[in-house]
Amino acid sequence: MIFDQNTMLILTLIALAILVIQLYMEYRRKPKQAKYIPKEVIVCKKCGYEAERDYEPGDFISLVKGKCPKCGGELVIKAIYSVKLEERKT
Amino acid sequence: MATDWVSLATQLIWIILFILIFTGANQKIQMRLWSYDIRNKLSVIKSYLEQDRARVERQLKNLGVKSPDLLIKRAMDFFIIQPVDIEPTDIIKRLEHLIITGDKSFRKMVEQVIPTSTKYERSLVETGLSIVGVMNQIYKIVRHYLLSGEKENNWILLMQLEMSMPQIMRIVETYHKSLDAFLTGTPIGDSVGPLVAYRLIELGKVISKKVVEDTSITELWLDDRRIYVIKAEGPGSNVGRPGRVLYDLVEELKGGVDLVITIDAALKLEGEETGEIAEGIGAAIGDPGPEKIAIERATTKYGIPLKALVIKMDLGEAIHTMKKEIYEAGEKALEYVRRIIIESTKPKSTIIVAGIGNTLGVPG
Repeated sequence: MIFDQNTMLILTLIALAILVIQLYMEYRRKPKQAKYIPKEVIVCKKCGYEAERDYEPGDFISLVKGKCPKCGGELVIKAIYSVKLEERKT
Repeated sequence: MATDWVSLATQLIWIILFILIFTGANQKIQMRLWSYDIRNKLSVIKSYLEQDRARVERQLKNLGVKSPDLLIKRAMDFFIIQPVDIEPTDIIKRLEHLIITGDKSFRKMVEQVIPTSTKYERSLVETGLSIVGVMNQIYKIVRHYLLSGEKENNWILLMQLEMSMPQIMRIVETYHKSLDAFLTGTPIGDSVGPLVAYRLIELGKVISKKVVEDTSITELWLDDRRIYVIKAEGPGSNVGRPGRVLYDLVEELKGGVDLVITIDAALKLEGEETGEIAEGIGAAIGDPGPEKIAIERATTKYGIPLKALVIKMDLGEAIHTMKKEIYEAGEKALEYVRRIIIESTKPKSTIIVAGIGNTLGVPG
């Protein structure tokens, strides 16, 4: 079985195309990891005021965090969770 | 003339291929490629390990430790030898003894270096050191199999390692990222059990509270029923001993308990939704054995119904900062628990609810 130069070239190009397609498929298969940022929800037990803000290291649920801007009551951390960064931008 | 050269080259390629196949040299080339790939991944593991070590070192320096190297070295190589299992008599007692001794020794080791720090700060350092220890263990094991495979020309061993590397890398990345939560103190996915327990305490009228072996027992009155809520003492990184404490409580109440409910995070199967809630029977707790068996023994001895509520998540979600979906699932689980209690028991009944998991960021 003897190949001429053109056949060899075509075969090489087909092999390269298959390799590129496979690499691209492999790249697409890898799920992109979303970034998450921690947030905390503070709530006023007196008037029910609620706000979400960035988490500060060392905070934990039920910690008293300052005064309520509406009624001056105590603000307490109700929840701490992480949210997707993309969601926040949109 | 050109056709001759092409023909010669084609034949040469075929001859080389035959030689490679018949002498097994193709496997050697394959081995080299696997070995190269594993080495690359091993260097990634090493860089994660060094980063994590540096972060824990910085945290210790912030707490006033001048040379944290010794503590980190000791913690990184700390180990617990599994009890003999070919003689199963007393294996749970022996395992429990080893776990307790291991925990106490590790805590003592940290306490000696940072005696002035708070219990909360120490718990974060302990967990940070444990994560570095796990990363170090994985790094050493992967390196061991790689070097053994290369030394003995064991291509089966290298192939197995190469095939396992994606899973190993996923676990390593999960632990690496989990350090963020443990160094800052945010609740993790696994904290959902203690969070539901804490919300229950907030809802009810608290009658009494005590802490035994880093585990809190809160007696409260809710929905016309007496409820004992058991959870690890928070808000530090702590799992407590809910099984042992539940056993002792049932004994103290002389078996006068109408229902026991355990709430825990459970690893979801691929395809399941994060935050899915499922109800079942049994002790929802993922310890090596002693805690789970204590719950089973206590409930079996007095014939107490044992129910379980689990919130599904993957390993990464369980040890990273709690996602909003899991937090919301926790709120739903609270209502679910109350419904189970009302459906399964009569007014004035006594119920034990155990929130299982690491209580990081959740007080009570």
